Amino acid sequence: MSEIRKVAVIGAGVMGAGIAAQVANAGLPVVLLDIVKDGAVSRSGIAEEAVQKMLKADPAPFMSKAAAKLITTGNIEDHLNLLADCDWIVEAVIERLDIKQALYQKIDKARKAGSVVSSNTSTIPLASLTAGLSDDFARDFCVTHFFNPPRYMRLLEVVTGEKTRPDAVEDVSRFADIALGKSVVACKDRPGFIANRLGVFWMQCAVAEANDLGLEVEEADAVIGRPMGIPKTGVFGLIDLVGLDLMPHVMGSMIGLLPDDDPLQAVRRDMPLIEKMIAEGYTGRKGKGGFYRLNRAGGGKIKEAMSLATGEYRPQIKPDLEALSATRNDLKGLLSFPDKAGRYARRVLGQTLAYAASLVPEAADDIASVDEAMRLGYNWKWGPFELIDQLGAVWLAELLTAEGVVVPSLLTLAGDRTFYRTQDGKRQYLGTDGAYHDIVRPDGVLLLADLKLDRQPVLKNGSAALWDIGDGVACFEFTSKMNALDPDTMALLGKSLKIVGKQFKALVVYNEGSNFSAGANLGLALFAANIAAWDQIEQLVAAGQETYRALKYSSFPVVGAPSGLALGGGCEILLHCDAVQAHAEAYVGLVECGVGLVPAWGGCKEMLSRWSAPGRLPNGPMPAIAKVFETVSTATVAKSAAEAKELLFLRPTDGITMNRTRLLADAKAKALSLVDGYVPPQPIELSLPGESARVGLQMAAESFHRRGIATKHDLVVAGALAAVLSGNGADITTPVAEEDLLEQERAQFMRLVRHPATLARIESVLETGKPLRN
Amino acid sequence: MKTVVIAGYARSPFTPAKKGELAGVRPDELAAQVVRELVARSGVNVDDIEDLILGCAFPEGEQGLNLARLVVLLADLPQSVGGLTVNRFCGSSMQSVHNAAGAIQMGAGEVFICAGVESMTRVPMMGYNPLPHPALHAKLPGAYIGMGDTAENVARQWGISRDQQESFAVRSHQKAAAAQAEGRFKAEVVAINQGNRSIDVDGCIRPETTAAALAELKPAFDQAGSVTAGTASPLTDGAAAVLVCSLDYAEKHGLTPLAKIRSIAISGCAPELMGIGPIKASSKALERAGIDAGQLDVVELNEAFAAQSLACIKDLGLSEAEINLDGGAIALGHPLGATGARIVGKAASLLKRTGGRYGLATQCIGGGQGIATVLEAV
Repeated sequence: MSEIRKVAVIGAGVMGAGIAAQVANAGLPVVLLDIVKDGAVSRSGIAEEAVQKMLKADPAPFMSKAAAKLITTGNIEDHLNLLADCDWIVEAVIERLDIKQALYQKIDKARKAGSVVSSNTSTIPLASLTAGLSDDFARDFCVTHFFNPPRYMRLLEVVTGEKTRPDAVEDVSRFADIALGKSVVACKDRPGFIANRLGVFWMQCAVAEANDLGLEVEEADAVIGRPMGIPKTGVFGLIDLVGLDLMPHVMGSMIGLLPDDDPLQAVRRDMPLIEKMIAEGYTGRKGKGGFYRLNRAGGGKIKEAMSLATGEYRPQIKPDLEALSATRNDLKGLLSFPDKAGRYARRVLGQTLAYAASLVPEAADDIASVDEAMRLGYNWKWGPFELIDQLGAVWLAELLTAEGVVVPSLLTLAGDRTFYRTQDGKRQYLGTDGAYHDIVRPDGVLLLADLKLDRQPVLKNGSAALWDIGDGVACFEFTSKMNALDPDTMALLGKSLKIVGKQFKALVVYNEGSNFSAGANLGLALFAANIAAWDQIEQLVAAGQETYRALKYSSFPVVGAPSGLALGGGCEILLHCDAVQAHAEAYVGLVECGVGLVPAWGGCKEMLSRWSAPGRLPNGPMPAIAKVFETVSTATVAKSAAEAKELLFLRPTDGITMNRTRLLADAKAKALSLVDGYVPPQPIELSLPGESARVGLQMAAESFHRRGIATKHDLVVAGALAAVLSGNGADITTPVAEEDLLEQERAQFMRLVRHPATLARIESVLETGKPLRN
Repeated sequence: MKTVVIAGYARSPFTPAKKGELAGVRPDELAAQVVRELVARSGVNVDDIEDLILGCAFPEGEQGLNLARLVVLLADLPQSVGGLTVNRFCGSSMQSVHNAAGAIQMGAGEVFICAGVESMTRVPMMGYNPLPHPALHAKLPGAYIGMGDTAENVARQWGISRDQQESFAVRSHQKAAAAQAEGRFKAEVVAINQGNRSIDVDGCIRPETTAAALAELKPAFDQAGSVTAGTASPLTDGAAAVLVCSLDYAEKHGLTPLAKIRSIAISGCAPELMGIGPIKASSKALERAGIDAGQLDVVELNEAFAAQSLACIKDLGLSEAEINLDGGAIALGHPLGATGARIVGKAASLLKRTGGRYGLATQCIGGGQGIATVLEAV
């Protein structure tokens, strides 16, 4: 076992550059090389431009601009010597065997003994890549197939060759898991590996069947999307995203490699419409448009879609399908629905699930790998075998027979059993041997979902739960919709703090939702405001303040462990924790000003205290106040945990976990590390300049208003925030205590929540999901 | 009364704040290198220097304490030389010249170094801790008004269109670019050394700028306004210094006087219209010199904004042909504390170069003031 300390990526296209960025995100130095372009000013121009482009890209490949400095750019003619101290060399060049093999010859001469070389190929078999190369090279070689974009897609498919030494794959897999945050799925050396093999089949099938059955793209995507737990882009939207021109290319290479009786051959069709679209430049979002486009002709913005029936663009339609409205959330119902849409669902999902079942053990060792690959590589909510479990293997087999589709043997093997089951508190999957096997998590992976299989919560209500996660550590879990925080959350947190104080050593605040917390439940607040229940609103504010304060000064350490959004009150709870262990993809921010409010659960006071710490900013009372004002008044959300540290939503000492599945274990370990000699923090006391600071901030806001950056109500909100941050009437000679700051937060919050423009903002966010700029 | 002369002028290159080459240079160090070089070039006997008077608009942080005294020590001047830091915002280092001139005339010294510096990279405009007096702000909000807003006010009241501002800005860049190309800054610019780097080129000038390119910019201060980043002087790092002494002293010690100081003036105006400060200040100074604007051969009018420059030109009855011959602050930059020394030194040098008789250096000052210096060929 050897540790990977430096990486090289060759090929600075979208994938190669993105992989290099993710290595840099992990804090490791990385070399990024590409060819020398004829006539270029800089011989390393391709790699240099790739890094510059990534610094501007959105979504950002870098978690922090500082990460870009870890990339050393170069070219393969002058800089192969840079490979000499790299432990892992990733090839991500064009999909041409001759070019890859020629490059391998060069790499082999430049690399150090024992370094691992891998290809990011998606279409070329590993056996072909290493054919004719030395045994030494083949022993150190494997395929590591990333998904686009490499920072955000959690799947990494790894293919081990016949000659590959097992520890090479282990080293790379462990690094990809812990440092890069990827879930590694072992694949066999079969065309398209797992995710694209099934994904391409599914897309091809969905396009062909829509064509055959005469569905429009909106209808097809409505059937394919939500009901099957597939992102709402459906299939045509997804093809627009990856590029229409990529499809024939990938299909062609897979068709060529797969045997004649593979079902992919049968769903292949000539698609004159798609060929015509590609020829005319309608290659999807990167081109002039795809199946969907925004028609800006004549200065307008009309959402249009390609009609499969006429081959012409027309305004988008909102599909009105009885099959969907009548079978809401009932997949079985949808698949049995007698109309065209039902038949479409049946044809596409039936064939796709059958194909999935045929891939074990053909392309994957077990069903869990297939499910993981589709969940993480295609963002399916459920893997194909989880979908089959919703339908029943026998039911599906009957459907397939009726549709004239061959029933794969794995379905027959399952019979009336499910593919997954829980036995003795362990989740198990059905193996190809017909027996159930435990799903084994790698060391250092701890999931609340797994723990829940063998225990009951210590406490629970409609919005939260408290769990015993072992070793004297408790876990507080939000369970409401979007993990929004409401009076029940606060009530249970209050109770939990008392119980943890008596029965546990430490507390972790963590959940497994896609978002840690979207903040306070605005719907409740608006409802209360509409009936003028101001006292209740103020009580909720006060309850949050008191509970978070109790959490902060409790007799045991508390560690927050966010992943995804942690906004508003969800950010404020983190600010009150002793430490945070954040998933790298945590998006933290105080966004209250966006809905016309100020943070009032201690967010202002905690941020002010953090920025006021000596040495962070120039001396004097204003720099800290101005920094917090700037961050909070603009509702800034950190786009990564690394950025959250820069904004001090996280402390410099807080931990970052790259792999989502390792977050709870890391947070628990952090909590336990704080137990010995734990002392609660000292109360905050700040010297604030009062009115003059408020005037200064107000002036700044007014200048933003004149420039057209701040709206009319932004000025009102900024004024309230300025009042809180300046210490409202404080004088620099008299320190302001924590309670005074909280009182100010509450007073300004209550002033704003009665403002019609604030209520209009809240209403807009609840109704449209978009902020109102009034 | 003793005749006071400018007997030397030097400045650092002016480079854009944050992204320019001087961003990494401390302002005290920057000023000291310019002062050291001015002393060397002028050939003055350092033991004769009475005082170093140094202007700085936001004297805190690295340009804080009594910066002038620290620059004396940094520049290896004798400990007998005094150090006085003055602040009249943008007019600070022109004020340092005025202080010296007054002192010389009342026999309180023969030789002064009058300098100015501003690192707008390392100390933000408004300083680190802007804490306006709430009662004054309530009584007179303009007391703390932003500079861009004053430029908008002047543009509106004087009816100066965006087009006019933009063509003025383009001309400033063209003049500065021509001066740079012809090496006309070589005599005044001091190379600043940092580590093994030597920084000797002005960084704000954009020779390629066109009116069409400027017309693309968004208003920088008021979405309904006409002032953009292209018609405002850029935030700049830089230092400048002039040697001020009595004519007697210069003659006795073989120094080369560039010009005599004929008169000086200060004048206040409405803070919201600070850009027109030069009108009253220049009128007073011209009157004190006993000449009228038509007699001026050289004018250095600080281009804080194109709008206020054009308003001043109009009201003072100046002709653009004699103004800012080598470009103004829109092209060169405006390191607040350093600008006054630059334009006094520049106007004096230009009198010498062009053989003109009268020169005027004048500038507007945040808070609502103008300052002016009338020079005459020796």
